[in-house]
Amino acid sequence: MRCARSLVRIQSLRALTAAAGGTVQPAATRKAPHARSLIAHEPCGQALRSLHTACVLLKNRPVATDYQEKSEREGEAAKSLVTYDDLFERAALEAKTKATFNQVLDVFIKRDIRRRGHVEFIYAALRKMPEFGVERDLEVYNKLLDVFPKEIFVPRNYIQRMFNHYPRQQECGVQVLEQMENYGIMPNVQTKVLLVQIFGEKSHPVRKYQRLLYWFPRFKHANPFPVPHQLPQDPVDLARFSLSRIANDLDARVTVYQLPYTDVCETGEEVTQPYVVGIQSPDQRHLLAKHNPSRPVFVEGPFPLWLRKTCVYYYVLRADPLPPEEKVEEPVDPERCFYYPLQLELDLERDLGDDDSFDVDEVDEGPVFAMCMAGRGDQATLAKWISGLQETNPILGRTATVFRLESGVRELQSAAEPEPEARPGEEEEELQSRGVKQ
Amino acid sequence: MSPFCRSLTRRGRLLTLPPLFCPLLRGKKTFYGEYRRPGQPRDNTPPWKKIRFDFAKGVEGIQKHFGLLKDEIVQRFEGPEGRPLHEHLLEQTRVMWEFRGQESLHQWVVSTDREIGGRSEAYVKLGRNNTTCLLYGTLCSTPPRDGETRYSGYCTLRSKQPLASFDRKKHYDWSSFNTLHLRVRGDGRPWMINIAAETYFSHQQDDIYNYFLYTRGGPYWQDVKIPFSKFFLSSRGRIQDEQYCLWLDKVNTIGFTLGDKADGPFQLEIDFIALCNDRAHTEEFAYELYKRNPEV
Repeated sequence: MRCARSLVRIQSLRALTAAAGGTVQPAATRKAPHARSLIAHEPCGQALRSLHTACVLLKNRPVATDYQEKSEREGEAAKSLVTYDDLFERAALEAKTKATFNQVLDVFIKRDIRRRGHVEFIYAALRKMPEFGVERDLEVYNKLLDVFPKEIFVPRNYIQRMFNHYPRQQECGVQVLEQMENYGIMPNVQTKVLLVQIFGEKSHPVRKYQRLLYWFPRFKHANPFPVPHQLPQDPVDLARFSLSRIANDLDARVTVYQLPYTDVCETGEEVTQPYVVGIQSPDQRHLLAKHNPSRPVFVEGPFPLWLRKTCVYYYVLRADPLPPEEKVEEPVDPERCFYYPLQLELDLERDLGDDDSFDVDEVDEGPVFAMCMAGRGDQATLAKWISGLQETNPILGRTATVFRLESGVRELQSAAEPEPEARPGEEEEELQSRGVKQ
Repeated sequence: MSPFCRSLTRRGRLLTLPPLFCPLLRGKKTFYGEYRRPGQPRDNTPPWKKIRFDFAKGVEGIQKHFGLLKDEIVQRFEGPEGRPLHEHLLEQTRVMWEFRGQESLHQWVVSTDREIGGRSEAYVKLGRNNTTCLLYGTLCSTPPRDGETRYSGYCTLRSKQPLASFDRKKHYDWSSFNTLHLRVRGDGRPWMINIAAETYFSHQQDDIYNYFLYTRGGPYWQDVKIPFSKFFLSSRGRIQDEQYCLWLDKVNTIGFTLGDKADGPFQLEIDFIALCNDRAHTEEFAYELYKRNPEV
C-alpha cells in the first residue's frame, strides 16, 4: 500500500511539472469516446494527487483550469439535486446492462482520486442496481465496495476504535451488505479483503459480513421444497416442475396432453392451442377407479401456486367427500407385499405414555384424482385434459364431469355448501359466481 | 400510561406488583411505545379518557373474571391445568390450537403492514367444515412514502396471550415437549413461525424466536415438525448475535408471518397446531456461538 502511495505521488509530481510548463494537454483525448459522453466534468489537467499531499502543492495549480473545473462542477450540481442518479440515467440511455453499470463505476472511480461524494454515489448505485439487472451479481457488489477509498476509515488509535469512526461511511458499507443479504448473495473472500482494507478489522461492516457468513450457510438448504432461482422458461417445463412439486408422490407421472402451437387455418386466422399438462399418481388412479360413477367429479380451479416470485395456477379433478354410510374400510391385501407385513396387530408391550397420536378429527375432504396446468383456463381446454385422462381412467367416460371454474383466484375447498344447480349429466361453467372474499 | 406507571415499569417492578393492580396498569401496551408512524402526531389524550366507565362493562367483567377465578380454584382439585394427573404425566402430544367454530378465531389477531402505512391485506376465517383456519389476503411490498420506512410487506397471524382471572398473564408451559407439529396447507410461499416467550427485562420485550415454515402448495395437507432447538432469537426483525435457546416454560404467543416480497394473493390453511415429544431429537440448540474477538 505504501509503495502504491508513493507511486501515485510520483505520478502527480510529473503531471504537475507538465502543468507548470503551460502545456495543459486535453485529457479527454485519452479517454474512449463513449466515456466522454458519460462524463460531464473531466478532471482537466488535474494532477493525480494522493490524499496526504501537502497543501502547498495545491497552490501551484494553474488558475484557469481551477476556475473552469469549478464552474463545471457548479453547473452539474445545479442540474439535479441527486447528482449521481444523473450518471446512471445517462448510462441507462445506452443500455441497462452490467457492462454499462460497471462503466459508470469506472467513470466515478477515475474522476477523482479523492472519491469525493462516494457515499452518495454508492447509495445511488444501490438504488439503481435492480434497474440494471445486477442486483444478484457478487462481482458488481465487490466493485461497488471498491469505490470506497482505502485505509482512510480504518481507526488508528483506541479512541477512534472506541467511538463510531466515520459513521456515515460505515453505515453505507453496511447498507451495501444489507442489500446483498436481501437478495441472498453470499459475500466472498474478496469482499472481506475489501472491507478490512476500507474499514478495519472490527468495524460494523466487517461484523455484518461475519453475520452473513454465519447465517447464510445455515439456512441455505433449509427449504425442503427448493425452487431454483431461474425457473424454466418453457411453460411446459414449468408446469412439469410445479406439478411434480405439488403431487408429493414420486410415482406420479406427468403427461403432456397437448403442446402449445400456433396454426394458421384456411381462413387466415391464427389458431393458438394452449398447453395442457397433467399429473396422476397410481394411488389417484386407484381411487378414481373405485369412484362411484353415479356421483359427479369436479374440475376445480384455478388455485395459485407460488414459486418464488412467480405465480402459476393449477386445476384439480376431485369428488365430494363420501357420505359416512358409503365409507368402507378396505382390508389391506396381504399379498401386496411379501417382504414385510403391511398390517400388524400385535399386542406389544406399549407403555401408557407411548401414545404419540394427536387428538384431532381428520378434516373430511373429497379425494383428489388428478391435477393439471393449462395455458388457458377455459372449459374447452380442460375438457381436453379430461378426455386425455379417459384413456387411462375409463370410468371417467361414465361419470358426469362438472366444471367449477372461476376467473379469479379462489381458496382451496371453498365448496362447503353443496350446489343445488350442479346436477350430474350437465356441464356447466361458473364464472365469477362465487368470489373468494366475501 | 401515566408517568407513575411508566416509572414503575422502568424500574422493572411491574412484574412484582400484586396481581390485582395489573388491570389498572396494563392497558394495550401503551407504555414504551407502540409504533408511531413517522409524521403522525403524538397521542396526547390523557389515559383516563381512554377508559370506558360503563356499568354494563363492569358487570360483564365481574362475571368473566369471577368465573375464571372459580375455574382456577376448582381446577386445582382436578389436577394440574384442570386435567387428571395420569393424563398430565403420560401425555406425549398436546394439541394446542385447533379450530372449531367462530369463537376459536377470537384467540388470534391478524395484522398487516397497514399499521406502518403499507397496503397489504389479510383476513382470517374458518375454512371448510368449520374445522380449519384460513388466512388469506394480498401482500404488497411497496414501502409507505414517509421518507423513513424502507421495507414493507408483511402479514401476520398471532395468537393472543392467555389471561387468567383479573387479566393476569398466564403462560403456556411446553417444557415437556421438544417439537412443534403443524398441519398446514399453503400455496408454496415460505412463512415464518414466531414464538414469543416471557422475558424479565423490558428491553427484551421484542425478543422473538423464529423459524421458517416452508409450504409445498397443492391440494394436499402437509405435516410439519419443527424442533424447538431450531428456533433462533431475533429482536425487531434482526437476528441477534448472541443466540440462546428458547425456554419453553413460559411461552406467550405463537405467530405466523409472511414477508417474502412476492406481491400477490396468498393463503394459508391451518388444521391444528400441536406439540409432540420427538424422542429421536436430542439437540438442545442448533446455533453455536463463537468468540466475538478471538485471540489469534
